Amino acid sequence: MEEFIEELKRKIIDTLELADVQPEDIPTDGALIGDELGLDSIDVLELVMMIEKDYGVKIENREVGVQVFRSVRSLAVYIDEHCRRTQR
Amino acid sequence: MKGIRAFVCGAGIVDAAGIGLEKTWAALRSENSCLKPLSIFTVSHAPALPAGEICEALPSKETVPRTHSMALLAACETLSASRLLPEAIVLGGTTGGISTTETLIRSGETEPEKYRYHALGSVATYLARVLKCQGPVISVSTACSSGTVALKIALEMIRRGRARVVLAGGADALSRMTYYGFHSLQLIDPAGARPLDLHRRGLTVAEGAAFLLLVAAEEPPEGALAELVGSGLSCDAHHPAAPHPEGAGARAAMRKALADAGMTAEEIDYINLHSTGTVDNDRVEAKAIRDLFRDPPPLSSIKGIFGHTLGAAGAIEAVASVLCIARGYIPSNVGCTVPDPGLGLQPVPRGQSRRIGSVLSNSFGFGGNNAALILADPSRRSGDMGQKKMMQFSVLGTACLTGAGSTAETFEMFLRGEALYGRPDLATIRTDLSAGSLRRLRRLPRMTLILAQAAQKTAGMAETASPGGIFFGTGWGPLTETSDFLEQLFASEEQFASPTDFVGSVHNAPASQTAIRLKATGPNITATGGDYSFEQALFCAALVTQEGDDPILVIGADEHHDLLSPRLDPSSVAGGGADGGAAFILKPHTFATGLRMVPAFLSYIPEGEDGIVPLIEALGGPERICDRFGAVFAGISATTRSRGEACMEGFLRRTGFTGVIFDYRRTTGEFAGASAVAAALAVDVLSRGVLPPRLSGKGKAALDGKGILLLGLGEYVTAVEVIR
Repeated sequence: MEEFIEELKRKIIDTLELADVQPEDIPTDGALIGDELGLDSIDVLELVMMIEKDYGVKIENREVGVQVFRSVRSLAVYIDEHCRRTQR
Repeated sequence: MKGIRAFVCGAGIVDAAGIGLEKTWAALRSENSCLKPLSIFTVSHAPALPAGEICEALPSKETVPRTHSMALLAACETLSASRLLPEAIVLGGTTGGISTTETLIRSGETEPEKYRYHALGSVATYLARVLKCQGPVISVSTACSSGTVALKIALEMIRRGRARVVLAGGADALSRMTYYGFHSLQLIDPAGARPLDLHRRGLTVAEGAAFLLLVAAEEPPEGALAELVGSGLSCDAHHPAAPHPEGAGARAAMRKALADAGMTAEEIDYINLHSTGTVDNDRVEAKAIRDLFRDPPPLSSIKGIFGHTLGAAGAIEAVASVLCIARGYIPSNVGCTVPDPGLGLQPVPRGQSRRIGSVLSNSFGFGGNNAALILADPSRRSGDMGQKKMMQFSVLGTACLTGAGSTAETFEMFLRGEALYGRPDLATIRTDLSAGSLRRLRRLPRMTLILAQAAQKTAGMAETASPGGIFFGTGWGPLTETSDFLEQLFASEEQFASPTDFVGSVHNAPASQTAIRLKATGPNITATGGDYSFEQALFCAALVTQEGDDPILVIGADEHHDLLSPRLDPSSVAGGGADGGAAFILKPHTFATGLRMVPAFLSYIPEGEDGIVPLIEALGGPERICDRFGAVFAGISATTRSRGEACMEGFLRRTGFTGVIFDYRRTTGEFAGASAVAAALAVDVLSRGVLPPRLSGKGKAALDGKGILLLGLGEYVTAVEVIR
């Protein structure tokens, strides 16, 4: 799981073009969205698209999104669970 | 003396209910939703989401995109009630010909002729051509408030004596861009829009067109349906897509509309809500209304019937409001079964026949572009608004970006008589903008932010100072975002659409990014009239500002895009593609002094006319022109060169002007924002007092205190005086 979390952090940086951010700057359990990284609702939706593209996991509405994007860990867990259910 | 009032003497509409006022009226009365699964194009998922589409065939004499066809149908109905012909047209919209463009792009079409109706500005130009309107024609794009902003500009044209009969409204067709774009933002309610409902989950994209015919008079003309009594504009300056959480901008727009109409909140009989059915919009609008109205009047959203027609919505709702005033009816809030108790509002549950004297209609768009307008019974006693004037501008700051580089580099090269064409390398332009603040921003918004900041600096404004308003002219909008969005959509067989690109692709995105950065909460208008976009933005600024207002920011800019520019703007292929723009900090005055910029003339010119006679008249006649101006900076696009040169010849013949003529596109390169760069060059020349030697052709020539006349010559004729 920790490895997957690292992978996700790199993908977040690439997808959102976070030029000055390193993977270690992104908290694993802290809030992903908000002032710290300057991410907002549009970034969340951009990540929704990336996750569907790269992992085949859909996050179809904002209510689910709010839960899933609490932290990188919650995102990793959600993808892991749904990826397994659908693909593996 | 009584003030000039703007009476509604005609209305026309095309929407999901069908073509014509009576179908819309029947839909309002029957309280049935017109929303159903989208069918005009096939989508990648099943079932298709609901949409508000026009199911009737759109009759049209020539092959034009849907937006153009709908706009003409609604315009013709608007004009049918009176024998009046419009002296001016103001049109709001966000899609233009994109519904046609996207299919052309998908098929790999490269022939520019096929894309000739792509531009947002092409809709208004098409109407002007068909309706033979020779006069001011302006296109504005402020996302979902476009139609309302167009009506505000028309109102000010009438109040300030620039036109007596104005056709104003909005038009937008359904397109893949907006369907998938709003889908990517997870803002479409799969059940159809349920404005103000507890279980609402989003909006329904829709299409339509609507116009009002505004007529200047001191007393209501016979047959007047309503009076447009006031309008207010504001910008959230908060976020590119989400509304200000406290509804500050929405409240400001409504408050300004009331002040503009000389009315109190208690005098409003009905509020036509913007309420789209999205969770955030409805919450914020409700909060703003509760703050402003102690005891809100009956209110409803009609988007549960017609859907959200984006740039047309404000015009469609203005027409619906006019019908409600003229026929005595308050429409219900179709789609809302259980009003959300958290909103603290009670939407009208059933339509009610009763007299209404006044309506407040709201429109809020992406980028926090807010507009509200007030329509009233024409027989209502009106307050004395007095005579208002078009503003002139003292120039406080100037900046530009060209192939030569930044402002200083551009002016230096220009003085040396060298060409400026090319594309500025934005990475090498020095700015104080952090990497974080430029994230997600592609070429056009980056140029706009760089220009805005540089202009503020030359005006001596503090980093934290906010301009009183932002007026932005762009011929083509953010092309990189538009192209990236469509490329990804089609490459993925319509599976994936980028929300970032969608939000960034709207024409007003650069101006709203600038507003966020500068915390500019005043009017925020993006004008998009092709090669005359900067002039249109300046004209809008002169119409909506007044004496005593804070200095405003006026920007004209366009980006060159390797794939799209050659298809959309054939002039752009000259010299390998150029882009850039200029920004100005301007202080509005009734009579400006010092170095100043005066928008003097703006007119669409029908084929076969050269428009020079009215131009010369507007500039005060041949004698004043020769006396006042030492040089003419002429903007002649490669696409309309022969026409532009004929105009220039006509101008010289009729004025006997013998000063310097600078055909600036040969120096700046060919792009829609070139006229803004020319204005910056004119300001620089005037502040030095001498023309570059190569320009005058006779060594360093002094201007002898004379000014520079900036002309746009082609399909439109425009004039901006740069004088001191």
